[in-house]
Amino acid sequence: MIEETDISKEGLLTAYKNIVMERLFDKKMLNASRQGFLPFYIPLMGHEAIHIGLGMAIRDEDFFYPYYRDFGVLLQMGIPIDTILSQVFATATDNEIGRDMPDHFSLKKYNIGAVITPVAGHLTSATGIAYAKKYRKQNGSVITTFGDGATSTPDFHVAMNFAGVYNLPMVFFVENNQFAISVPTYPTKDKAFSNTYEETRGAIYKKADAYGFSGIRIDGTNFIEVYRATRKALESAENQPILIEAMSYRMGPHSTADDPNKYRTTTVIEGGDKDPLVVSQKLLKDMKILTDKDISSINDEMEETTSQLIDKYEKAPKPDKSTMMGNLYEEEPWYISEERSDIQ
Amino acid sequence: MTQMTMVKALNSGLNNAMERDDSIILLGEDVGTDGGVFRVTDGLLAKYGKERVMDTPLAELGIVGFGIGMSMAGLKAIPEIQFQDFIYTAMDQIINQMAKLRYRTNGDYTLPMVLRTPYGGGVHGGPYHSQSGEAYFTHTQGLTVVTPSNPYDAKGLLLSSIELNDPVIFLEPKRLYYAGRMEVPDDYYKIDLRKASVIKEGDALTIITYGPAVPLVKSTVEKNNVNAEIIDLRTLSPFDLDTIMASVKKTGKVLIVHESPKMFGVGAELSATISERAIDYLAAPILRVTGLDIPIPFALEDYYVPNEKRIMAAIEKLLKY
Ligand SMILES: Cc1ncc(C[n+]2csc(CCOP(=O)(O)OP(=O)(O)O)c2C)c(N)n1
Ligand SMILES: [Mg+2]
Repeated sequence: MIEETDISKEGLLTAYKNIVMERLFDKKMLNASRQGFLPFYIPLMGHEAIHIGLGMAIRDEDFFYPYYRDFGVLLQMGIPIDTILSQVFATATDNEIGRDMPDHFSLKKYNIGAVITPVAGHLTSATGIAYAKKYRKQNGSVITTFGDGATSTPDFHVAMNFAGVYNLPMVFFVENNQFAISVPTYPTKDKAFSNTYEETRGAIYKKADAYGFSGIRIDGTNFIEVYRATRKALESAENQPILIEAMSYRMGPHSTADDPNKYRTTTVIEGGDKDPLVVSQKLLKDMKILTDKDISSINDEMEETTSQLIDKYEKAPKPDKSTMMGNLYEEEPWYISEERSDIQ
Repeated sequence: MTQMTMVKALNSGLNNAMERDDSIILLGEDVGTDGGVFRVTDGLLAKYGKERVMDTPLAELGIVGFGIGMSMAGLKAIPEIQFQDFIYTAMDQIINQMAKLRYRTNGDYTLPMVLRTPYGGGVHGGPYHSQSGEAYFTHTQGLTVVTPSNPYDAKGLLLSSIELNDPVIFLEPKRLYYAGRMEVPDDYYKIDLRKASVIKEGDALTIITYGPAVPLVKSTVEKNNVNAEIIDLRTLSPFDLDTIMASVKKTGKVLIVHESPKMFGVGAELSATISERAIDYLAAPILRVTGLDIPIPFALEDYYVPNEKRIMAAIEKLLKY
């Protein structure tokens, strides 16, 4: 039976293709890092449904301030793939000319903020951007994403409080993947963690209460639920801020510098029934939008597309060293001009 | 022209700027109804409303981060940190977001904003209302660090800082807030942020100073009839190398005076830069008279900061050398 839905069949299929594409890119980028093409990489597996649902929900009039694990959101938002991959591979054509780590995008012309490494360092900025929207009486809301670990920072609480006090058009979106590197988000009975502490004991979504607005918890493995809840939140945020906690699981390592076998038994595995890719396939098959045949042809198509792109960007030229001193200030100080000759 | 204190001059500058540019937003603790604890924003809430003069929750990290967001989105934030001593919970925002945004995005985002804060001694505020933390900011790439030494400069430098398309840390010497009045134009005017000011010409030695120490240096030199050239840096980073070098080459002797502690301070960088470039012109070691290398104590503050005796001792040593 086809469920009543607010998204067209083509829309759902595009979303599914992007989920597959994100999964394949993820594997290939991890591989690229093992082969030395990427000095560092932030894996995505487990976040695909959140990313694609978010990308579907964000409207042209909204502003998106991502964190470092949001690759797929940009795919679904329709940011040119060359823009995305030139950043990840820090090539000469990257608009940041390779100055920041992979997935640290800055895309002002698409209403996207500048991803910052310090966890939660963007939350107060996002809130200030929401104030500018309100002050200029612009349509739309600001949505900012961050991890569960980020909710332990002062930045989270300060930004939530400011959003409440000034009643800002803000959606705070937590991608709860159950871990901040090795530390579990919540207390767990899992034996592996019997000898450690957790990030928090209070449900994250309930923390919004303390700041005078509401919080909800959603299934972050179901991209349609993520889309619907986020779109609704972006609309309602124009009247009051909101916090969304999307539940998923980080299926891979935290980063390429991390070995999760040291601290956990990975409970959500690829191809298992909690894998967002599998959940998406089941959803769309139940809706009679996707067949097993489609699944395999889409996979083949995406395999080819992603292979070609990764191949191209692995070999793309890096920025010239003469570019590295520019754009510290609008007017270059004398010592910067002098230090140009130190680059040898 | 009106006789103004530094506080009045800053207030006049903010008013001039806000009148012509509705993208300017002031924010901070007690800046609204109260007009700021030192009264720099006095009367501005009544004139511009709470959308533009915003009392904030008590969170320095939020004041700075929120201001950064506004400026990323096309407004021009002027946050006030009530005392520089309380800025540290916002240091992550200042160092990692504010200072680096233009560089790391290669100019995709620029950040025109002025972070104002009173600093230094003069009110017997003890370790937490008297700090001179300028070196924390001057050692951060991407910041422009400005500090005025009189009411006229305060207004002109503030207006230039507001027009700059980069973040400015604007350090206001609180000991000079009400230290005296001078003629200040009521209208809008600017002072070049990249130029130091030679406030007195002389041949026997060069004294480089800034902010809270300037009036003390000036009165000491005048009272004791010293043939010194006095340079008021105005902008600590990036500082005006040409003015310094021209004077050093003329006098061959250098004294640096600042209120902040000596070790790893602004004077160290000035001294190193001068030695690297002009050792052949120097007739004596470069000396520093600074705050002591301890936290600033409550009861004995007057012995902590530079005073006439210490400055004269250094001058005499240089002159005799
Ligand atoms: C302020 C800060 N502290 C520590 C780190 C190092 N670090 C990077 S990511 C991370 C864990 C973040 O966990 P979470 O917020 O749940 O996001 P996730 O990586 O799981 O998506 C840590 C500790 C950092 N980048 N910033
Ligand atoms: Mg996490």
